[in-house]
Amino acid sequence: MIIYILKRIGAALLTLLVIMSITFFLMNAIPGSPFLTEKSTPQQIELANKKYGLDKPLIVQLKNYVVNYLKGDLGTSLKMQEGTPVKDIIFHQGKFILSIKLGLWSLAIAVLIGIPLGCIAAYNRGSWLDGFLRVMTTVGVAIPTFVLATLLLATFAVKLGWLDTISGSLESAKSMIMPILSMSFYYICYVAKLTRTSMLDAINQDYIRTARAKGVKRNIIILKHALRNSLIPVITYLGPVTAGIITGSFVVESTFSIPGLGKYYVQCVMSRDYPVIMATTVVLSALVIFMNLVVDVAYKVVDPRITLTNKED
Amino acid sequence: MADFGKLSPFQVDPAIVEGLSLSPDDFSPASEGEKENMVEKRKSVSYWRDAARRFKANTVSMVALFIFLCCLVFAFIGPKLIPYSYGDQYRSSQKLGPMEYSKGEALIKAASANFDSFYATGLQAGSITAITKGNYFIEYKGNTYAFTAEKAMEGVIVGFLKGQADPVIVKEADVDPATGAIAAWAPLETTGDPAEGATQLKLVKGVFPHVFGTDSVGRDLMARTMYGARVSILIGLMAALIVLIIGSIYGAISGLAGGTVDFIMMRIVELIYSIPEVLIVLLLQVVLKDPLQEWMDHSDTWLAHAASALGSGIISIFITFALLYWVTMARIVRGQVLQLRKQEYVTAAVALGAGNGRIIKRHLLPNCVGALVITTCLQIPSAIFLESFLSFLGLGVSAPMASLGSLCSDALQTITLYPYRLIYPAVILTVIVLTLNLVGDGLRDALDPRLKK
Repeated sequence: MIIYILKRIGAALLTLLVIMSITFFLMNAIPGSPFLTEKSTPQQIELANKKYGLDKPLIVQLKNYVVNYLKGDLGTSLKMQEGTPVKDIIFHQGKFILSIKLGLWSLAIAVLIGIPLGCIAAYNRGSWLDGFLRVMTTVGVAIPTFVLATLLLATFAVKLGWLDTISGSLESAKSMIMPILSMSFYYICYVAKLTRTSMLDAINQDYIRTARAKGVKRNIIILKHALRNSLIPVITYLGPVTAGIITGSFVVESTFSIPGLGKYYVQCVMSRDYPVIMATTVVLSALVIFMNLVVDVAYKVVDPRITLTNKED
Repeated sequence: MADFGKLSPFQVDPAIVEGLSLSPDDFSPASEGEKENMVEKRKSVSYWRDAARRFKANTVSMVALFIFLCCLVFAFIGPKLIPYSYGDQYRSSQKLGPMEYSKGEALIKAASANFDSFYATGLQAGSITAITKGNYFIEYKGNTYAFTAEKAMEGVIVGFLKGQADPVIVKEADVDPATGAIAAWAPLETTGDPAEGATQLKLVKGVFPHVFGTDSVGRDLMARTMYGARVSILIGLMAALIVLIIGSIYGAISGLAGGTVDFIMMRIVELIYSIPEVLIVLLLQVVLKDPLQEWMDHSDTWLAHAASALGSGIISIFITFALLYWVTMARIVRGQVLQLRKQEYVTAAVALGAGNGRIIKRHLLPNCVGALVITTCLQIPSAIFLESFLSFLGLGVSAPMASLGSLCSDALQTITLYPYRLIYPAVILTVIVLTLNLVGDGLRDALDPRLKK
């Protein structure tokens, strides 16, 4: 187990290195310089390039990035907030915390609502409730996040005026409802669908029939036997969910005017603030890769039969 | 040979040998009746026919397919049926609600009751809605009427009044806005044949409503939604095709080669798989925009022309798919190839001396194709999703082109005043994705009944 985790961490670091290289070369493929404005003279650009080490060969620049990152130095912003250390921008201005808060809430809501809905649907299979949930989940996975977000905004904030159009820093529960709902709705539906299918699989197993024959209470059968065995596909899905929630945060943060990392990332990419783009990409990628690792380990905890080393084939 | 007596393994009971000796007379040709029994009465059901039968039995998928076909008609045939185009700006028709008419349009609509066919300057797109100085002709009931405008005319209706055979010209000022009654008209002086380079004025019967309303610069929203749906569907199809080609070739090579090649190829797939695509997609969009534009402006190949017709945004979406999204397909194809290679019928074919080509063509491909169709079909909605997401962030297609995502994005700017602008593209986007998902599910059940979700 420990060896497996260490191996995975090694692979994760390699992936991060590749991502850094890709990002680096992509950034440098953008024509023009980040310092190019109408007023700047060639001398000024040269000076600025020298100051930030952009005059060195690309491979040296990349090496510098990697070495500095290993030391924990993420560089300084070139444009968005000139001269501010990137580390401060990401971690100390509340952006990261805000995005994490939004993401964790959405993840939690997706799991805490999705799984029970799936169970209810599976246990009332064929009833009107099951039918309703099936329609809801099928439609739910076809609605893009931004459509839901804007529809919620139009209905509850503009038309009815119950909620604010600008969610800001998510200080009150009221301001969190719409962003979290629009981010997690797709995943609530997907998780519910997934739970229903695997729950139905589990319910038809022999050990459930045995438990029922022994007179075990219905709730205990669901919670102890059926649910536990049907959670594996759901857990597998949580890795991709994390990546998806980061995607969602780009849209949701822009739509509801939340000053988080997702919104900031889009702005940075557009304004070519190299160090910030690099740092944000690495931080977000690390988050996704870390979640995938956690999910793989969680597998093993839920189902000891799974051998981690041969899971490829 | 030593005599083993009764225990000899080679000794056979003579009676059995006697019974086995057959003479040709024991055989006789089968009678017609006996032959009939051997003929297969029922045609054997082919894989595709069987799948089609299963698909047709699936009500949900059939309904979804029908609705999706309706969307296709809306997107591809619709633009030919309405007089508005996605890029044209209709002056004085800005910011109309669904089915609303602008003041000018309402006037012409009222007046149109008196006309059989007409051409109104007030209905034309562009910055100057007038008949400028020059030669024109109109066609009506098989006849051509040519005329020359000596000076520019604004706010006029040229056409045929009911019950009159000759064209007339009516000033909008002479039309009563409430009743549409025409106070005065002048006959149009026509000549026989149109002069060289004369412009045809297309006659219409009435005023077509702006069913979905218009946007802030006076573009018809239904025309734009139709166009956007077409762009979105085409992007989905193209992206799925790209993924299919790259993914299946890569997967097949990896699966067939095996060994070290397979190992290395699969590590590359894993690496790409663990990259959060959306971050790279966003970067790629920005990175590719300028070089692509540069290339399209300066290159003279047909490829560059085709690309510039699509715009750099769409091309970078395709490139993104080609770079990052094929990995799932490659994994599926490799898995299929590995699994199928071990099957007994493949071993049997090898034992019978079939070559590689025949095994691939005859055994691997037909058995793989179900999985390929299903994955490709489900790839389309995910491509549409991605495109709309990028367009929503302002990175996909750019105006005057439209996609469903960019229409939603435009609508968001004015959501407080004109919420309906969001509803139409959003609903159509959702319906397309939903029906494609359901059709994909149906295909999976039909093509691979063993496969459970």
